[in-house]
Amino acid sequence: MSTKIKRRDFLKIAGAGVVGLAGLQLMRPDAHASGGVEAGEHQWAMVIDQSKCTGCGQCTLSCRAHNDVPPDISWNEVLPAGEVEGHQVFLARPCMHCENAPCVEVCMVGASYYRPDGIVMMDYDKCIGCRYCEVACPYQARSFNWQKFEGDNPAVPEWGQPEVDRRPRGVPEKCSFCYHRIDRGLEHGLTPGVDPAATPACTVTCPTGARIFGDLNDPESEVSKIIHSQHTVRLRDELGTAPRVYYVLATPEDFKEAEA
Amino acid sequence: MIKNFRTRLQPTPWLGWLAFLGIFLIAGVIGGVIVLWKGLSVTNLTDLVPWGLWITIDLSSIALAAGAFSLCAAVYLIGLKRYEPVARTATFVGLIGYSMAMLCLFMDIGRPFKFYQAFLYWNTHSLLWEVTMCVALYFTVLLLESMPIIANMDWLRTRFPNLTARMSRVHHYAPYLAIAGLVLSSLHQSSLGAAYGVLKARPFWYKPEMSVLFMLSAIVGGISMTLFASMLASQLTNKAKVRDELIEKLSLFVGWALVAYFYWRFWDTLSMTYTYEPGRTEGLQLLTKGPLAFNFWFGEILIGILLPMILLLNSKTRENRFWRMSALLMVVGGLVAYRWNINLAGALVVLSYLPGQPTVTYASYAPSLIEWLVGLGVIAFGLLVFSLGVRYLRVVDHFFVEEEHGTVDIKATQPVGI
Repeated sequence: MSTKIKRRDFLKIAGAGVVGLAGLQLMRPDAHASGGVEAGEHQWAMVIDQSKCTGCGQCTLSCRAHNDVPPDISWNEVLPAGEVEGHQVFLARPCMHCENAPCVEVCMVGASYYRPDGIVMMDYDKCIGCRYCEVACPYQARSFNWQKFEGDNPAVPEWGQPEVDRRPRGVPEKCSFCYHRIDRGLEHGLTPGVDPAATPACTVTCPTGARIFGDLNDPESEVSKIIHSQHTVRLRDELGTAPRVYYVLATPEDFKEAEA
Repeated sequence: MIKNFRTRLQPTPWLGWLAFLGIFLIAGVIGGVIVLWKGLSVTNLTDLVPWGLWITIDLSSIALAAGAFSLCAAVYLIGLKRYEPVARTATFVGLIGYSMAMLCLFMDIGRPFKFYQAFLYWNTHSLLWEVTMCVALYFTVLLLESMPIIANMDWLRTRFPNLTARMSRVHHYAPYLAIAGLVLSSLHQSSLGAAYGVLKARPFWYKPEMSVLFMLSAIVGGISMTLFASMLASQLTNKAKVRDELIEKLSLFVGWALVAYFYWRFWDTLSMTYTYEPGRTEGLQLLTKGPLAFNFWFGEILIGILLPMILLLNSKTRENRFWRMSALLMVVGGLVAYRWNINLAGALVVLSYLPGQPTVTYASYAPSLIEWLVGLGVIAFGLLVFSLGVRYLRVVDHFFVEEEHGTVDIKATQPVGI
């Protein structure tokens, strides 16, 4: 038996090898549940109670101040969401911090990534500004910095002081669950979701307490209790993104009680 | 002295053409500087439609460069040796196409001077990572494949005969380069479609056929681009010499390839007309009766597929140079229309994320003046390089005989059996 192979066979083997290797990389069988990132001690989540939200927009403003977001961008959009029993209801939309985040999956430089605590983070230094994540996000949670944000932030100081660096021109930015407040709070022994200093700015600011923040891994946390006891929904759940923002939708009963 | 200078600057069609391209090039450079200086705020791109004209130019020039890998594979791997001079043109067209794409991408990304980070930081799960790697590697392959062509430059030849001899010798590796080209191109030509096809958030794009359609349309459009450019050059200058029978035979192939492409396109479109799917149905309606309808019915279907299919499969019209050239140009136009339409039909449809059945709103997009200036500048750059290639590198010369590439005799002492 000869050890020499024909050119044709060589081509076949070489071709199959290269395609196979590339295919393996792309498919990555563990491509689910936070991209194989080991889940950490905490799993942060937010509950937004639509029946309590008045659409005042203070969450958006305090977010702008604390994260130094330019005035034409909202990390935290508050949208009118129809009427219930003749009452206008609203829907606040931060980043969903999906467990299967489309933005993380498509980012070619890995600038979007999962933290072990479930927060979907942006490494603004790595980002080259291709905007694939923006196209991939089902929630329009990302806003591109089409121009450089210069000058004073109109939300400062009325709504708070900037706690993070401004993003450069040419990268998309989004809500980070105020990761800096969580991290610093934990360092000081505070509990995010309980101690205001360790809780996202929007949640602290909300005048009606429509936002609740906490740890899904802690069964005693407010978010865990609500998710287990009340009916909550996640936005576009059918896509399988598994968001970490849960909504308690307004029902006609909410307004009947209020009127009574 | 002055008199001499004047006679040397006598207006010729060549100089006129250069001046014409020069205007667009200068405008493009000015536009590019403004983009780098002011950022992407000078474009009409928005968070809802973040990809526009430049992506179309980018995708189109990569697709229209596909003649290089398909013809090189035909010549060096399948063994259709007589098409070697056409593959030579295609290689050069390919090199231009990828240069254009990279130029345009450089303008399009938010942080152009950080483009190298695409090579430093890898997310191997991202299709754009794969596309980036393949494009970079394939550009290297194209550069190597173009070495023997560039070695034809008289200026280089007389000054650096050793270098040009070395460059010509790269041709010995043509079959190996063709393998690399085939593998890399098959990967990224389809992945560019898949880059859209994997986006669950955009139902109009979210389907596996995207990769197949991108691949097929690239082969059809890429070969047509090379053939059209060759024919046009041979009409305009005697520096370009074509063997019409080669082009005619390949045009027949394009005709049949159009049938295959049309088959896929037909079932792809038809299947989308069944039942209402939020976002997807609206995307299709943008094409069939919305603002993109003219581009779709006229640009993509009639001019892009049906007419050239008939013109190229019917031997009378195919043998007629005018009709053949027109048909090939139509295929090229149809491909650009397809890339433009597919990008916008998906991006213009905005699905709500509010609880309950998603409702649809529409975004709008029309390129800004700066986008046009830069885009046309990139196209002018491509035309300029091709024109220079025809004039100084004999890029379109079907009577040019390349040095025979090395054939390795691999003989099995026994037939390789099972």
